[in-house]
Amino acid sequence: MKVLLVGMNHRTAPVEVRERFAVAEIGTVLRKLVDRPEIGEAVMLSTCNRVEIMVTAENSDAARHALFDFFVRDLSTGELPAPARVREMMYWREGREAIEHFFRVASAIDSMVIGEPQILGQVKDAYRAAVDAGVCGPVLSRLCQRGFATAKRVKNETGISQRPVSVARVAVDLAKQIFESLESKTALLIGAGEMIEAALVALDDHGLGTRRVVNRTQANAMALADRFGGTAHGLDELDALLPETDMVLSCVGGEGPILTRERIEAALGRRRNRPLFLIDIGVPRNIHPDVHELDSAFLYDLDDLQEVAAANVQQRHRESERAERIVDEERANFEGWLVALQAVPTIRDLRDRADTIRLAEVSRFAGRMRLDEGQQETLEQLTRSIVNKIMHAPISQLRDETDREAGLARLEEARSLFALDSETGADSDSDVSSDSDSGSNSGSNSGSISNSDSAEEGDPT
Amino acid sequence: MYVFEHIAAALYLAAGVGAVLGLVLPAPGALVGARWGLALGAAAQTAAFATLHRLDPAPSLTDLAQVTAIITWLGVIFALLLQSRIKLPGFMPPLAFLAFLAAFGATLSSSNTSATTEIVGGLPHAHILLASAGLAALGLAGLAGCFFLLEHRRLKSRRSPMRKITLPSLEALDRVNRVALTLGFLLLTLGVLTGALWLEARAGQLYSGSLHETWTVVAWMIYLGLVAMRFAGRQSARQAAASAVAGFAFLLFAVVGVGLVS
Repeated sequence: MKVLLVGMNHRTAPVEVRERFAVAEIGTVLRKLVDRPEIGEAVMLSTCNRVEIMVTAENSDAARHALFDFFVRDLSTGELPAPARVREMMYWREGREAIEHFFRVASAIDSMVIGEPQILGQVKDAYRAAVDAGVCGPVLSRLCQRGFATAKRVKNETGISQRPVSVARVAVDLAKQIFESLESKTALLIGAGEMIEAALVALDDHGLGTRRVVNRTQANAMALADRFGGTAHGLDELDALLPETDMVLSCVGGEGPILTRERIEAALGRRRNRPLFLIDIGVPRNIHPDVHELDSAFLYDLDDLQEVAAANVQQRHRESERAERIVDEERANFEGWLVALQAVPTIRDLRDRADTIRLAEVSRFAGRMRLDEGQQETLEQLTRSIVNKIMHAPISQLRDETDREAGLARLEEARSLFALDSETGADSDSDVSSDSDSGSNSGSNSGSISNSDSAEEGDPT
Repeated sequence: MYVFEHIAAALYLAAGVGAVLGLVLPAPGALVGARWGLALGAAAQTAAFATLHRLDPAPSLTDLAQVTAIITWLGVIFALLLQSRIKLPGFMPPLAFLAFLAAFGATLSSSNTSATTEIVGGLPHAHILLASAGLAALGLAGLAGCFFLLEHRRLKSRRSPMRKITLPSLEALDRVNRVALTLGFLLLTLGVLTGALWLEARAGQLYSGSLHETWTVVAWMIYLGLVAMRFAGRQSARQAAASAVAGFAFLLFAVVGVGLVS
């Protein structure tokens, strides 16, 4: 059984194609998918940047065809490019690569904005949908859980999501480097446009205390203030509002700066030099650049914020190298678990086989030696102990192999060496019995291959 | 002999390493562990000071190494108290390592102590404790001032922090500076007064004109000026931070440096 993954993302397909695969009812779609005989378990992730389906299957070639067919026929809506073109836009991951890819996606290493926090929630939603639909079995369940744990480790052990990369979040982050908490702070918003609103949303997420909106058109100021629970003011009230303000966000049109050094200096004096954070995202600038020279004033314009954001993006890229190492570790751990899981049937067969032989031999000898009940019990214990000791090492090796390829090869070897897939398993048991029989009794033997073996073994006696 | 001192030193060292790891990795669990390490270290050092008189020979509290250990011990306690109200993640590593060096240094020094100033009665003990507490609090104000100047400079340069350790916000650092300066000045004043009373009890005069006393009084007057400016709102936070750093450097020289130089 293998883990397989097929999908397309922002790097491989344009949005016009990706949107054709956007799915609202994931559960229904997944149930339809697992109805196909080639597919075992399934989980589907559908976000604005990617559509991915992860499945388990016994035959990867058959599953690949089934998945592609499913993608094009059952998943898509509207007109698609030619199938060959769609196939080019899709990527296919199998086994180790699929596991690694999923962990990278959950940890936001594969995201358009590295370290973005939304993807983990989306992956969790995808897992929940698959569980609710009853199509997520033990393997993908475990894989998803490990994916969440990997994402948590990456978040906690690297700085991949530490520094913000959007202008609005950079502004909030800077505010938090200046102020202890935003809850008791007052923000003065000059303008009522989209940029101001975006910054206000980001500040609101961090519990901004008081909001005051100043705008030339008071109706717009009132509309924004109403939406965010603030008060609206006219531009003529600026000087009165500034001393009570901790943060100024400005984005209004017009010629020349609204806030000059003199105005800010006067406000700072009345604030007893408490720090004032000013964000000027207006073009042309609304706050005179000289304001930054004042000791307690921190002025950032759009270019400054974008520069910080770009530096933070680079920092995240550097941190992603550490994140890759964590993904690698977790992938190896999961593969170890998968091999152990796949070893279970072989180990069970091996034990059954050994026990069958043991029981057959015990009953044969017990009958001949006319043992009483106590002696039979002792013989039972003795043989069980011998078998357990002999089987311990091979079973441990099968169970503890962490490398997937080596583990699978070892399982194959074990099945072949112990003839676990042989339909004449029961016959060979009796062959072995006969061999030992012949060894000890130099009597008759039966069977073909094992007879000759036993004859050789028996020769010295 | 110095079991508690060694335990305290080991705990401080572990707390320092934990705090650095906690900030660099970053690992919040390590930071919590480091805070516990500091608290336990301070508790062990409290036990060490409480049992100091049982040592033979008992080290003098006026011994430089012992005084340094007392100052850092009180500094750790103040910092832990402040941390319960203000987020101060960057404070732990320097404090823990300083406390480790001081606690370990005290064990080495006290084992070599021979001649000691006789300290009997409540006044000398009160003087040493109050003056040390004042120095510890003003030291914290200085440390907060250092961090403030670093952060202020970075924010003014409009650069993203490249270092992994995130320092507290400017406002938090300024608050620590204000609280520590006020508390430190108060304790220093009491320390100076009890010192004068101790001198009077010993030599019959409040002021002998020694270099140590003169420089300490000058340092106290400087701090009086700093506190006055701070509360009159005449300084910006950056100026207050710079003053706290300069003031502590002067105070250290007045209390320790003058004695070493002379």
